Amino acid sequence: MGKTNIPTIEEGVPSSIVQFASLDKLLNVGRANSLWPLTFGIACCAIEMMATGCARFDMSRFGAEVFRPSPRQSDVMIVAGTITKKMMPGIKTLYDQMPEPKWVIALGNCAISGGPFAFEGQYSIILGADQFLPVDIYIPGCPPRPEALLQGIIELEHKLSGWQRWNDPQSKEVPSL
Amino acid sequence: MNNITKSYDTVTLCGRTVPYQQVNNDGVRMEPQFTEFLYRDSILWITAFALGGLAFALGPIAIVYLLMPLRTRQIINKRDQYIECGMDPIGDSWIRYGVVFYLYALIFLAFDVDVLFLFPVAVAYNSETFSASYRDFIEIVLFVGILSLAVVYAWVKGVFKWEKRTYLR
Repeated sequence: MGKTNIPTIEEGVPSSIVQFASLDKLLNVGRANSLWPLTFGIACCAIEMMATGCARFDMSRFGAEVFRPSPRQSDVMIVAGTITKKMMPGIKTLYDQMPEPKWVIALGNCAISGGPFAFEGQYSIILGADQFLPVDIYIPGCPPRPEALLQGIIELEHKLSGWQRWNDPQSKEVPSL
Repeated sequence: MNNITKSYDTVTLCGRTVPYQQVNNDGVRMEPQFTEFLYRDSILWITAFALGGLAFALGPIAIVYLLMPLRTRQIINKRDQYIECGMDPIGDSWIRYGVVFYLYALIFLAFDVDVLFLFPVAVAYNSETFSASYRDFIEIVLFVGILSLAVVYAWVKGVFKWEKRTYLR
C-alpha cells in the first residue's frame, strides 16, 4: 500500500513565503467560512452529502455549498463512502491534485474503518480512508445524518482556524431555578 | 464654464492660466492643449494611469504568489496529471478524431438558411401583390437552387453517408 509516503496530520500545512501571525488568522477565518468541497461521492453516504447540500439542510449557511467539479479548485475532500481497492488510486490522485491548504473528512463508517466490510476473507475494500489519507475529521454513522455532516464541517472550521461559529452550549452553566 | 476666463488672451486649464493661442515656429496659431507643457502633463497622467492599471492587474498575482503555499502534500506524485477525475488518462489528448458529425452540423446550416428565408416567402406569397407574376416564383426558385448547391456539394462529397472516414497521413 506504500504507507511511507502518506503525509501525516502532524506534518502541517506547507508554508508560504510571507507570513504574518494575525494575517494568517484572518486568512484562516476566511477559509473556514468558505470551504469548497470536492464533488466526489463514492457510495451511499454521498446521498446524504447531496441532501446536505440541498435546500432542507442548506450547507450554504456555513459557506460550504460550492461543490467544485475539479480538485484544483477545492480544499475539502469529503470521502463519502466505501473505498474499494479499484477506487483507491483515483482518490490518491484527486488528493494530490488539490492545492494547499487541504483537508479530508471521512464520512461514514466505511470511510472511517471499513464499516460492515471489516470481516475475515474480505478482499476488495480498503478499511478506512486513513489507511492512505491524512484524515482530519471523522463522522460516524451508516450513513450519517446530514446534521452530522454539518457538525463535521463546523468541527473542521474550528480545527483549521480556532474560530468557533457559536459557543458550546454544554460548557455553559445551567442557570439554577 | 466659469473656469474659462472672458479674456481672449488667456484661458484657465488644469488650474493654470495659459495663453489662449500660441504661435509656433512656422507662424501658425495653435490650440492651447497642444502646447509643450500641457503635452508633458498629459503624458504624466497617461503614464500614471497606465502604471496604476498594471499594478491592479499584476498586484493580485504577486500578492497571491507571496501568500500561497509553495507546494502541496503528495501521496503518489500525480499533481500534474492532466485529467482531473482521478483516473489515469488513456493516450494523449492531441489526437485526430472523426469529423462525421461536424460535417453534418455544417450542412444543417444550409437547410437552416433555406427554411429561415422561405418562411417570409410562405407568409407573403398568397397576397395579391405576388399572385399576378411568375417573376417572384422564378426568383424563389433561383434562391433555393443556389442554396441547394451546398447540399448537392455535400451529397457528392459523401457527407450524408454515416461512416468512419480514414485519411492518408
